[in-house]
Amino acid sequence: MGDALPLLQIRDLNKLFGGLVAVTGLDLDVSEGEILGLIGPNGAGKSTVLNMIGGTILPTRGKIVFNGEDITKLPSYIRAQQGIARVFQQDILFANLTVIENLLVGLHLHLRMGFVGTFLKRYTPVGKEMELASQTLEFTGLAQHFDELAKNLPHGKQRLLGLAIALATQPKLLLLDEPVTGMNAEEMEAILTLVKVVRERRGITSIIVEHNLRAVMSVCDRIAVLNFGGKIAEGSPKEVVGNPAVIEAYLGTEEDAA
Amino acid sequence: MNRKWLTYALGIVAITAFLISLPFVLRSPYWVSILIILGIYTLLVASLRTITLIGVFSLGHVGFMLIGAYSSALLVMRTGLSFWAAFIIAGLVSAAVALLLSYPFLRVKGIYFAILTLLTAETFRLVAWNWKSLTGGNYGLINIPAPNPLTIPGLGIMQFESFNSYYYLTLTVVVLSLFLLYRLEHSKAGFIWRAIREADILTRCVGINIMKFKIINFVVACFFAGVAGALFAHFQRSLSVDYSSTFGTMMSIYLIVYLVVGGPERFAGPILGATVLIIASEFARPLQENQPILLGVITILIVLYMAQGIVGLPNRFQLWYERALKRINRNTTSKTSLGG
Repeated sequence: MGDALPLLQIRDLNKLFGGLVAVTGLDLDVSEGEILGLIGPNGAGKSTVLNMIGGTILPTRGKIVFNGEDITKLPSYIRAQQGIARVFQQDILFANLTVIENLLVGLHLHLRMGFVGTFLKRYTPVGKEMELASQTLEFTGLAQHFDELAKNLPHGKQRLLGLAIALATQPKLLLLDEPVTGMNAEEMEAILTLVKVVRERRGITSIIVEHNLRAVMSVCDRIAVLNFGGKIAEGSPKEVVGNPAVIEAYLGTEEDAA
Repeated sequence: MNRKWLTYALGIVAITAFLISLPFVLRSPYWVSILIILGIYTLLVASLRTITLIGVFSLGHVGFMLIGAYSSALLVMRTGLSFWAAFIIAGLVSAAVALLLSYPFLRVKGIYFAILTLLTAETFRLVAWNWKSLTGGNYGLINIPAPNPLTIPGLGIMQFESFNSYYYLTLTVVVLSLFLLYRLEHSKAGFIWRAIREADILTRCVGINIMKFKIINFVVACFFAGVAGALFAHFQRSLSVDYSSTFGTMMSIYLIVYLVVGGPERFAGPILGATVLIIASEFARPLQENQPILLGVITILIVLYMAQGIVGLPNRFQLWYERALKRINRNTTSKTSLGG
């Protein structure tokens, strides 16, 4: 990493919701291939930061540069086209489509068809499209569920499908919003391993917002801690857990306790 | 595979033959006129259903029908344009108005979209009511000409003054339009429409410009509403826009009732819903002003007991059949075990 230009640069990012300060003066760099954890108490502004990177919320002030390009004001679908993929916190899926169809929506970007192909031809995914979709299913371990409706999958598999849809867009940067909430140890392991594997095989960078500290510690190279919308600490997992400011943010000060 | 294709082809031939022979079987101009109206409403409900594919409900589809109807009638009456050009242009005018409104309208969903479209249709109606120099205001438009005679090679000149010939015109236009709507629904664009209905935010986040696809959907649906309006205008030969006319709020509600009774999930839903309810209300004519009660009762029963609508009936029958089979099997096995 070191000298290379960071994949994502955030400078002086601010977000106000009316009078409420959600994020204030945030600077953050993410290098290519890095797995960054974003943690903090409830209401610290973690999800808002993720939404601003993904483009579902626009910042009040500040700048976001991705891959050398200023994306601060771009709509989310163009950010996705440039390589930012989002895994949502809730089970946002194409619930009444089958698992493979879910993936085919994700593949849309890479299989552009002309006007005739889009509007006048009967849509029957074949060849390259099915191959790419099945590859991703194989990779995420969902292959045996390919013709089930997404809404009928168990919770853990649904989150895995959310990740698979994001991977189908062939992203450079993955934004994961609490990817392991409500999961058992096994399901948690599956997701976290996958995040590491896509980094190794495809060099995909990830930003993970998560409450489960053990999960964050085990998978992240670096952790940034937010509190009241600002960054209070940044460093390796070990540095961060030992940081007094972080302990204070999570546990409160002695005066608070008294 | 081949056999399936053959059944399919035979089915289409049978339905075509049935539809073509209907006027000769019925031998009643009155019933043929009902069929023409039925065709027009089928197209309206089918295009209304197309909008539901992106997950919103329009309560103002008759507004776009109104634009199509007046555009076609006025083009023919004021500029002397041929009907055959005017009815396509009427669809395009309706689509153009939809295009202008689509961006602000499609930014909202659910009840907000429904209210916006409802009020828009009512606004169109009131504009037509008050713009006396153009539309004749409360007098309406009268003496709208029938479509110009058409020379068909081999068949000679076809006149459209009679109900029978207008029936064939409506049948052709409606079937072609339904075919186009069906193809669109099963195209890649239709697939993306369904994705938008399931989870619009996720569709956007995988890189799809969902506004573009929503606008295309709305504009296409309103084009066909405009075409249906043009067919209506030149069939009725007169138009009016008072509250109780075809362009009133009540009609928007009827369109939704047809859709719900037929079954909004399947393409055949609008066809079945419009057919059953329009024919039922014809048979209910002796009830006079109580006629809507019958429609209401049918609708309530279907909503309560067959939420999938009439298109869900074959599935229902299959379910009952399987259950009955099981019961018979259980009875026979229990009897044999008793005997043993």
